[in-house]
Amino acid sequence: MKMKGAKAVHYESGPNMTPLVDVVMVILIFLMLAGQFGGAEHYLASNMPLVKGGSGGEPGNSVSIDEPVEIRVDSTSPDHFVARGNTINATDGAALYGQLQALRARMGAALKAAGKKESDISVKIAPGRSVRFQHVVTVQEAAMRAGFEKIGFASAH
Amino acid sequence: MSKHHIPEAHGGHPNVTPLIDVVMVLIVFFMLVAKIGVSTGADTKIKVPASILGTDIKDMGNVLFLNVTPQTKESDVPIVTANVKNASGATERAELKLQNATGQNEVVNTLKFFRFGKDLKRGGTNENADNDNFQVVIRGDFEMHYAVLEPVLIACAEAAVKTVNFNTAKKMEEAPASSH
Repeated sequence: MKMKGAKAVHYESGPNMTPLVDVVMVILIFLMLAGQFGGAEHYLASNMPLVKGGSGGEPGNSVSIDEPVEIRVDSTSPDHFVARGNTINATDGAALYGQLQALRARMGAALKAAGKKESDISVKIAPGRSVRFQHVVTVQEAAMRAGFEKIGFASAH
Repeated sequence: MSKHHIPEAHGGHPNVTPLIDVVMVLIVFFMLVAKIGVSTGADTKIKVPASILGTDIKDMGNVLFLNVTPQTKESDVPIVTANVKNASGATERAELKLQNATGQNEVVNTLKFFRFGKDLKRGGTNENADNDNFQVVIRGDFEMHYAVLEPVLIACAEAAVKTVNFNTAKKMEEAPASSH
């Protein structure tokens, strides 16, 4: 009777992959921890950072296509602001965006009638000294969303 | 044409080939995407303002990050830091004074250096050549007052920097209020 011997232990004939997997895993963890992905931030650009001539008195309600739209920003409390200007009076970014959009539509029609381009309209943001940076950014963003391309800042009042 | 099959596991040894394939793909991905050892000079401790709008800057080689913070929470005096070369030629983050001991505005001089070259004046060639594509990124604390930011904007205007970017945190668009 033919005796069956113990089953021979099977070893992989290929190269031992364990050290490779160890090293590769270490590299992977290093890259995951050391990498800077910066996906949570972006940039608001201004092509005319500071407009000469500070904010004088209260801005009027007239809409002129030759002068920049001036938005005067004041701080009513550390967490609140009020933005006022040519037919503008808003205390938050959404309301300001709506008012600026309407203003731009009116100015756009006047510019077309005068044979000028809508991109010629510039916006001058004039924040007060104590206005928070967040509120300045909110006002700039509202103007950008409303379609204004030239946005600058005036000296603090 | 012969087909390749995944080799079967033998005697309790798991087949690690698919694992290595996936891990290698992940490594290549992280090597391409992660910016390791690239310092823009941005102070990550600063809490920047949030905005929905925003763009990415593709050419970071022409960008100088200016970190702007008030001296104290209620102070209107700014502290400006940026990545600049020190005496030994190494790049490190250093404070730029708006008025140093000799009365010089280090922020303006640094911006002019990047904008106009070594001579700090318009025109010139080689090391004195102008860089029209030079941009500034201002990374400011969201709570600081505009009075803190203003001197930095004036410095940018004095150095004829064409584009100034505010570094902001991405904010999701707020859903409109329901009318029901």
